[in-house]
Amino acid sequence: MYIEIAYSHFPLLSTLIFLPILCGGALLFLPLSPRAGRIIALVVSLLELIPALILLGRFDFTASGFQAAESLSWVPAWGLSYSLGIDGLSLLMLLLTCLLLPLCVLCSWRAVTRRGREFHACLLLTAGACLGVFSALDFVLFFIFWEGMIIPMYFIIAVWGGPERRYAALKFFLYTLAGGMALLAAIIAFFVNSGTFFIPELMVMKFGPVFQLWTFAAMGLAFVVKVPLFPLHAWLPSAHVEAPAAGSVILASVLLKMGAYGFLRFCLPITPYGAEFFTPLMLALAVISILYGGLAALGQGDLKRLIAYSSVAHMGFCLLGVFSGQLSGLRGAVLIMVSHGLVTGALFFLIGFIYERSHSRLLADMQNLGGRLPAWTAFFAFFALAALGFPCLAPFVGEFLAIGSAFARLWWLGALVIPGAMLGAAYMLRPSLQLIWGSTPAAAATRRSWKDLLPREWLVLVPLAALTVLLGLLPGLILKTTARPLEAVRERMTEARAIWPEDPPAALYPRIQEERP
Amino acid sequence: MIAPLLYHPAFYLLAAALLLAVFPPGRKFERLAPLLPLAGAALGLLAVILLYTTSGQVRAALSAGGVWTYLSVRLELFRIDRLSLLFAAIFAIQAVLGFIYSAHIRERAHQIASLAYPAGAFICVFAGDYLTLFVGWELMSVASVFLIWLNRNPASSRAGYRYLLFHLLGGVLLFSGIALNYADSGSWLIARATGDGELSAGHLLILIAFCVNAAAVPLHAWLTDAYPEATVAGAVFLSAFTTKTAVYILCRVYPGLDILVIAGAVMALWGVCFAVMENNARRILAYHIVSQVGYMLAGIGMGTALTMNGAAGHAFAHILYKGLLFMAAGGLLHALGTADLDRMGGLAKRLPWLLVLYMVGAVSISGLPLFSGFVTKNMTIAGAMADHYGVIALILELAAVGTFLSVGLKLPWFAFMGAGSKMPGKASHVPLKKIPWNMYLAMSLSALLCLLIGLCPDLLYRLLPFGPDGMIGLSESGRPDYTPYSYGHVLQSLLILGFTALGFALTRRILAPKHGRLADFDLLYRLIGRGVADPLGRALAFADDRLSGFWRNPGLRLLMFKARLVNFFDRKVIDGTFDNTARGFRGLGRALSFLQSGNLQAMVGAAALLAAAAVFLALKLGGD
Repeated sequence: MYIEIAYSHFPLLSTLIFLPILCGGALLFLPLSPRAGRIIALVVSLLELIPALILLGRFDFTASGFQAAESLSWVPAWGLSYSLGIDGLSLLMLLLTCLLLPLCVLCSWRAVTRRGREFHACLLLTAGACLGVFSALDFVLFFIFWEGMIIPMYFIIAVWGGPERRYAALKFFLYTLAGGMALLAAIIAFFVNSGTFFIPELMVMKFGPVFQLWTFAAMGLAFVVKVPLFPLHAWLPSAHVEAPAAGSVILASVLLKMGAYGFLRFCLPITPYGAEFFTPLMLALAVISILYGGLAALGQGDLKRLIAYSSVAHMGFCLLGVFSGQLSGLRGAVLIMVSHGLVTGALFFLIGFIYERSHSRLLADMQNLGGRLPAWTAFFAFFALAALGFPCLAPFVGEFLAIGSAFARLWWLGALVIPGAMLGAAYMLRPSLQLIWGSTPAAAATRRSWKDLLPREWLVLVPLAALTVLLGLLPGLILKTTARPLEAVRERMTEARAIWPEDPPAALYPRIQEERP
Repeated sequence: MIAPLLYHPAFYLLAAALLLAVFPPGRKFERLAPLLPLAGAALGLLAVILLYTTSGQVRAALSAGGVWTYLSVRLELFRIDRLSLLFAAIFAIQAVLGFIYSAHIRERAHQIASLAYPAGAFICVFAGDYLTLFVGWELMSVASVFLIWLNRNPASSRAGYRYLLFHLLGGVLLFSGIALNYADSGSWLIARATGDGELSAGHLLILIAFCVNAAAVPLHAWLTDAYPEATVAGAVFLSAFTTKTAVYILCRVYPGLDILVIAGAVMALWGVCFAVMENNARRILAYHIVSQVGYMLAGIGMGTALTMNGAAGHAFAHILYKGLLFMAAGGLLHALGTADLDRMGGLAKRLPWLLVLYMVGAVSISGLPLFSGFVTKNMTIAGAMADHYGVIALILELAAVGTFLSVGLKLPWFAFMGAGSKMPGKASHVPLKKIPWNMYLAMSLSALLCLLIGLCPDLLYRLLPFGPDGMIGLSESGRPDYTPYSYGHVLQSLLILGFTALGFALTRRILAPKHGRLADFDLLYRLIGRGVADPLGRALAFADDRLSGFWRNPGLRLLMFKARLVNFFDRKVIDGTFDNTARGFRGLGRALSFLQSGNLQAMVGAAALLAAAAVFLALKLGGD
């Protein structure tokens, strides 16, 4: 068994990744005005759409394996190569990143007043590294992008963040780095065991069960931190609260997806037995995250914290789907990844816009805006409805599939997460009601000067809203794109289940014996 | 998937509705408000005409393109065959006429509601599966109730509320039926239910739901209760779509169902009996919808090719002349401010054109040769005779007598001729509000179409959907084997109408309208509502108050308390663990850095001391 790899003549993926990285690097060192920096960032982010759309246009949805691949030998002695390639799953993530990047630039047009050039450089560097993460086919290359993305993100939070930015940035850095170290250990272990860093090769290898348990645990730690699941989620609320709007959007819409992407790309196909073994734990963490994140969101007075905790709950749904062991669950997980990227991104944009007016993120300072900012509140209500899973909007379908697959696995597992879905309605409707109709007499006078959405802000929100409706009505677009990779994951899991016996502990010991020559 | 839907008329109506909804108010809106709906309806009509010109292959391709798989449910949005095309055609024509009639209306909500309502009807007509049908049905229910409420008086508010309740009940029945049917057959597709064996429970529920919409006695009173309370233009729309959508579904799913023959005959008679006694002009017309739909149901129930074609054709003709009658009655209401016959009289000289146009509708519905009703209604009656339903044929003829008596004679006599009102402000003297020209234009077009169908029945016959075997033809002509203008038919009609006129001339004092409302089944509904819903509702409201009080106080507070607890936990325990770990490492680092960066001499000294101790220890241990 092997995985097909279709090579491309033109290095589209390299262009996609290194255009923002090189431009970002250049921006850091060229003595340009902030305004020029902004414009260059916007142009680059729009140019990014060209290779992204070409990739989409030339993508063969029926083929299995990886496409648009590129490979260059790097350190032959260690088997290191510069290999890139995408399947349907990566393609979706690339498109999501490329869609959000210009919107992030537009959103920070006026919001970032200090060191604008450097900010946009960091934004481009982060985006380039994220694109690299989603398209790397070499494990070391993946790791380099994975770690490389932390640094510009650290600066985005630490330099352009709120009052507690140092603390939040350090926290983000340490959490991610700690997870990254475990990931590095796993990568080295794979190399020692198999002699290769090439991911498609690793995806068809059969490792011993105990080895799989350890490597799954090590990779899983890195990905759980990124997703994040309870109890490793604590970096997320503080990072979100302190980060500027564009940073929050990149964090929520792209970085969190890397965790789920890691599970789907590495943990399930490479270590299916480990995944099977840890499924109960992962499901428990997912359910706790759903309920815990929902309750924590309900108690927040800070809008950004609220959305941050809601992300914990939503990504809990995503991992619930991933580990439900059902194909529908995997589909649901992918739908949640995309729709969460759109909807939560839009919510962070909206909060960023209102922050520019009110200089506050507290719900208490922003009540009864329905009359004064009709467009803003309408968009907020729309995305809040989408986030709570309103039928025919994008997140509904994913959540529906995830809950359905949980029910299919174990009925009481499904029953456990239903309150989580209801909490979703509670924590999204509470701020919506207060924002639109609530009344606190404070700060009524200052609100006179607040203006409704500017054309630039409309431009940011309209594509997201349109996609939310479109994908809610035609979830088949996403399902079609990811059909082949998800089926492959599923096959790999079934295959693993057939090889290894149902009850692990009893069967573990003889295999350990076998492994030692 | 999008391209085929460009042929779907609902697309244009909904697009127009959306545009109207978001258009900012102002002078431009005033100009667009009448034109945009008309343009939407005209494009819808154009789409249907284009569909008629396409070949069977193209239609099949369009139908296949309208399939939409949502969450693994296969929805067929666009099933095109001769039956759906026929109803779509008349709906599109009537929508255009309706928007010409209402072209003077600037009210945003009214225009949006009257766009969404036919859009729902189009969705129903082209639906290939029950879920799509259900969506269309609900859209129709919700949109149409606004056409009643927007009349903005207490009576219409109440009538609209009752109308909505009844349709929601129908919707619940329909959905239960759809679900049961799916559980039975594993299919959402709309398919013929009659044929072999008994109806399944699911199909029975669906049948009842559509009998509600078709206003079958005794489920009909919502219609006669609510339509007279609608806005002037709203009633024109209402008269066309709801009942005829039901007729369409019954045609498709329940052909040859015996019970429909009885139901149809009862409806035909029930409607005219009440119409003869009724006082309000628009309620008379509403009762005639019940009666005329009765003809169609009877035709469907008999299930032969001739009667089915009769039902479908009669629905076509009926929409036109009933629309015309409601337009004329609406004109009276518009001009006079009332639709009660006992307040009218002597209007013939003041509104002569209205009388002429009204009479075209009236003789059409009565089945006078040369007008549309004659060529369609008699198909059902002849079919009944041919199929040995003699009694039914006789009842239907009798209903025709009543129809002419009330709509053709009584209503125009007391409205336009007559001695006039007993009320202080005589209708022949009160000032009349001017009827806008667009109303007259819509009525004239309707009247022309009625006359056209009466004069050239082949134009309609060529469109009829059912082939000689009773099956729905896909593209070949289903022209029925029926000659309307035979001596027998013409003579029979003239005799019936003539003697009815003679009878009216003799008895018109008895038939003089009396003020007040007749007791129909709606009183029973209300009685049931009061008797059951009120005590039950009060008890439930009481229980619910207590329950929601319970949830509000301990429940909601508990939830918010839990939320606060989780926040506390998150801040103190999870963040605390991290922060303290970090702090611990920082302390360790400081201690280490102190060791490293301290006084060099002391460090060297300490190191030498430690090394000496280690060497000593090693020697000591090694020595032993």
